[in-house]
Amino acid sequence: MVVNPQQEELRKRVLTRSGRVDAGAPIRQTSLWRDAWYRYRANRAAVIAGGLFLLLVVYVVFGPILSPYDPYAVDFSQAYQPISWSHPLGTDQYGRDLFTRAALGGRISIGIGFAATIAIMGIGIVYGSISGFVGGRLDNGMMRFLDALYGLPYLPFAIIVTQLFQTVNFYVMVIALTIASWFTAARVVRGQIISLKENDYVRAARAVGARWYRILGRHLLPNTLGVLIVFVFLELPGVILGEAFLSFIGLGINPPKASWGSLAQDGRDVYLAHPTMILIPSVAIAWLILCAFFIADGLRDALDPRTRET
Amino acid sequence: MPLLEVRDLRTYFATRDGDVKAVDGVSFSVERGRTLGIVGESGCGKSVTALSIMGLIPKPPARIVSGSIQFDGNELTQVREAELENLRGREIAMIFQDPMTSLNPTLTIGTQITETLRRHLAMSAREADRRAVELLEEVRIPRAKERLKDYPHRYSGGMRQRVMIAIALSCNPKLLIADEPTTALDVTVQAGVLDLLEDLREEHQMAMIVITHDMGVVAEAADDVVVMYAGQIVEQASSLELFDRPEHPYTEALLDALPSLEGEGGREARLASIPGRPPDLLDPPAACRFAPRCPFAGLNDYCSVEAPELRELRPSHWVRSAHPASERAAVAV
Repeated sequence: MVVNPQQEELRKRVLTRSGRVDAGAPIRQTSLWRDAWYRYRANRAAVIAGGLFLLLVVYVVFGPILSPYDPYAVDFSQAYQPISWSHPLGTDQYGRDLFTRAALGGRISIGIGFAATIAIMGIGIVYGSISGFVGGRLDNGMMRFLDALYGLPYLPFAIIVTQLFQTVNFYVMVIALTIASWFTAARVVRGQIISLKENDYVRAARAVGARWYRILGRHLLPNTLGVLIVFVFLELPGVILGEAFLSFIGLGINPPKASWGSLAQDGRDVYLAHPTMILIPSVAIAWLILCAFFIADGLRDALDPRTRET
Repeated sequence: MPLLEVRDLRTYFATRDGDVKAVDGVSFSVERGRTLGIVGESGCGKSVTALSIMGLIPKPPARIVSGSIQFDGNELTQVREAELENLRGREIAMIFQDPMTSLNPTLTIGTQITETLRRHLAMSAREADRRAVELLEEVRIPRAKERLKDYPHRYSGGMRQRVMIAIALSCNPKLLIADEPTTALDVTVQAGVLDLLEDLREEHQMAMIVITHDMGVVAEAADDVVVMYAGQIVEQASSLELFDRPEHPYTEALLDALPSLEGEGGREARLASIPGRPPDLLDPPAACRFAPRCPFAGLNDYCSVEAPELRELRPSHWVRSAHPASERAAVAV
C-alpha cells in the first residue's frame, strides 16, 4: 500500500492533537473583556499609542506637582528663556515655566475633552435609547429635532453658548462643547438600539416576562458598550480640537489659566523669534489626537471583531 | 376545561398593500399534561399563532383582529401588558428555534437563568444561583456549577438549547411552547433534546405545544396534531390517528415528503415534494387554499370556487378538504 506522506503527516497531527484533549481538564474561564484585551494587544500601533497616551497623562498629572515653578508668577527677567536644564521647554513672555504651564494646560485640555465626551455620551445614551427603544412616532419626532440641530454650525454654536456666561471656565467649556456636539452620539446609540432590539435574545427575554427597563438596561445597553467605548475615542479628538480652537481665538478659558489652545495663542505673535512657544502646545495636541485615533482603531478591532474585514 | 383554548384566532399584519392574514381563524385547545404538535411549512402561521398566545407579536404592524385565547381562566387577548409580563415565563414559557442567538452574548449563563427566577419567584441571589445549578443538572449539563459562570460562546448549540429549556422550566410553567426546538440543531443532538423535553414535560406536569415542520418530530413528541396551511387549520386529530389515516391531501403530501431508508429506491430515491406554492396571504382565494396544489381538485368543482369548512370526519378527526382520503376511496370503489 502506498502511503501519501503528506496525508500521513496530517493524520499524525490530528491524532496527537486529539490525544492531548482531556475531557476532565479544568475549564479556563475567559471573559469577553479578556478576549478583547488579547485582540487589542495584537495591534502594535494601538499598544504604542496607548503607551504614549499614558505617558502624556502621567506628565500632565505629575508635571506640575514635581515642578519647582509657580505657573502663574510673572518674572520679566526670565521671559523667553530657551530650552535648558532648568526650563526643559523654555519660558513664555511673562517668564513662566512652559514645562509647568503646558502640563497644566494639558490637564485642562484633556479634562475638558474627556468631561465633554462623557457628557456627550450620557446625553446620547439617554436620547438615543429612548428614541430607538420606543420607536414609532416619538422616534421620528426626536430624529427630526436632531436633524434641525445638525443644521447649526458646530463652532459658532459653541461660541454662542460660551457667551451666555460671564466668565468662561472649565465647566462652561464642557457645557458649550457638549451642547454643540451631542447629536452624533445620540444617533449612534439609537442605531445600535434599533439593530439590537431585533435580536432573538431580546425576544427570549420578553418571553420570560422581562420588563422594558430590564431589557434596555441588561440586554441592550451593555451590548452597545463596545461601540460606545470606541466612539469615545473617536469623539475625543474633535472635542479637544474644538476646545483648542476656541482658546486659540481667545474665546476659550479665561487667563491666567491656560489650555493648549491658549498657550498656542500666546506663541502666535512670536512664532518667528520663539517658535517653541507655539510648537509645544501644537505638538501636544497632535500627540493626543493621534493617540486617540490609534487607540480607537485598536479598540474597534478588539471590541467589535466583526467589523474588522474592511 | 382545557388549559389553553384558542377560538377563531385571527392575527393580521398591516402592510402598505393591505393586511396579511397570517393567522386566519384558528381554533384548538390543549389539555393539561398533553402535547399538541402544530405542523406546517414556512409561513403557514404556526409561529405567529404561538407568538399571539405569548402576546409577543410585533405591534405594530401585527394585531389580533378577533378571536379569543383562554388560558387557565384568563382571556389573554384582553389582559393588560403588565399582567401578561407576569404570566410570561411563569405560567407560559417559550423556547425558540435558534439557540445560537437566543442567549445574550454579554451575560453569563448563570445570569440569564437567575434573571427569570428572580423576576418571578422573588428569590435571593444565592437561592437563585443554587436553583440555577439544579436546573442545569436537570437538563443534563455536566459540571453545572462551573459552567454557570461561562458566557454563551463556550456552549455548543445543543447545550444552549438545553439552557433555553432550563430557563423555560425555571418557574414550573403550566404550558411550554417550543417553536421549532430542534430545527437549528444537528440531527444527532435533535433526538436528545426531544427526549429531554418529553421527560421534563412529564416530570413538571406541563402541557406543551411543539411547533415544527418536521413530521418526525410530531411523531416523537405530540399526542395531538394540528396541521396548518396558509393561516388555517386543515387537519386536526390525535397523532396516532393522523399517521395511520391521514385525510387531507396536504397531510398526505407532508408524510410522503419524509425521507425514508426503506421502500422504493431506498436511500437512492428522490425526496417527494409538493409542487406549487402556498397562496398569497394578502388576498387569499375564496376557494380552497390548497386547491392549486391539490392532486385531487378538479374531480369536483365546488372546492375551486368555495372554501370547504372544517368538518369532523370521524370523532375528533377534523378535516378541511373536499377530497379527504376516505371519501376518495369510496368514490373509487
